[in-house]
Amino acid sequence: MSNNRPTILICDDSLLVRKQMKDCLAECGDFNVVEASSGQSSIELFRQHNPDLVFLDIVMPDKNGIEALKEMIAIKKDVKVIMLSSSGTRSHLKAAMEAGASDFIQKPWEKSQIEHIVRSLF
Amino acid sequence: MFNQYFGNFLLNKGYISPGQLTDALEYQKSVHLKLGVIAINAGYMTPAQVEEIHNMQKRVDKRFGELAIEKGYINEAQLNEMLATQKQGHLMLGQALIDRKHLTIEQLQEALESYKKESGMSSRQYNVVRKDDTEQIEQVFQNFGETMLGKMYSDYVTLLIKNMIRFIDDAPVVEINQMKSDITAQWYASQEIGGKIDLHTAIACDREQFLILASKFAREEIKEPDELAQASVGEFLNLHNGIFLVNMSNNGVELEMQPQQVKENYTYKNPGKAYIITCHMTWGDFDVIIV
Repeated sequence: MSNNRPTILICDDSLLVRKQMKDCLAECGDFNVVEASSGQSSIELFRQHNPDLVFLDIVMPDKNGIEALKEMIAIKKDVKVIMLSSSGTRSHLKAAMEAGASDFIQKPWEKSQIEHIVRSLF
Repeated sequence: MFNQYFGNFLLNKGYISPGQLTDALEYQKSVHLKLGVIAINAGYMTPAQVEEIHNMQKRVDKRFGELAIEKGYINEAQLNEMLATQKQGHLMLGQALIDRKHLTIEQLQEALESYKKESGMSSRQYNVVRKDDTEQIEQVFQNFGETMLGKMYSDYVTLLIKNMIRFIDDAPVVEINQMKSDITAQWYASQEIGGKIDLHTAIACDREQFLILASKFAREEIKEPDELAQASVGEFLNLHNGIFLVNMSNNGVELEMQPQQVKENYTYKNPGKAYIITCHMTWGDFDVIIV
């Protein structure tokens, strides 16, 4: 993988969501895309790849997205983490924003939402 | 959504078979609702009177309403009401069943009367209430003795139907029953919801329906029940439950859900008070379980 391309980490336990997100990102630009299927592996891959942008699900095995978010922010304070969840409840929104999430997208996401985020950053 | 309820009723009472229902649902997309069906539903005319007008129309170039008024069966106001109903299309399923010869007009009248009677509603009440689907579903759960959780269950089922239309592009006919025994399914996608209320939710189906559901949600053809198929059905359940949790949260009830799980050849033990929402689709049936 090239080092001059932005790295995007997708964290979701659903293979379908990761696949659709990867397809969407491929249409938006040229990125290194890394996939994690659990909260714990998302932290490991975060450390390993130092991503520029993270799409992070909340309901995941091992460790939920809010806990993972806190760890990611502790590792890299200015990382952009977009929460991407079907469960945009008030408590999740509050917890995500307090923990330092850059944005919260309620599933099902639209391609235009992802495009907008990616284009504003890179 | 009236069609979902009436279709469910017709199935349960044995008026029609699931095959006839799905055939009629497919056909009704192109059906034109006739005034005769509306007149019978409203109680303005008998089947015999409707047949008489239909036979007259073969000989006379006049509209149904015009002839019915001439014969004194209905008045102008009733005709106007019927024309308004025709635009709303609530009785499309009945019309489709007649056109496809799954029911006679007399059988439809009997079924409609029986349906209204069982619902405890007069024709007038029925005409008003039928527009409010959630209340009707809630009544089903009330009838099962769910006084405390009936509203929540009905919200769940109403949202399920909306999400089926939204994400699967297909409107189900739902049939709500209490679970009577253990359920064994070839494929079982489940998700636990917890908080003030604990819920077990699941989709149970056989291989064929599992693959169709997976393909429709993923919007690509999936031929094997592989990881992608499992992810697709699991994600549909997760998405539906997530939206349900957001709605509950907006009403002040915070709930949490666990990651979804998909199992093959799984038996879910009847916990005592569980509901099976059978979704009759044009491509087959599958069950949604809520406990």
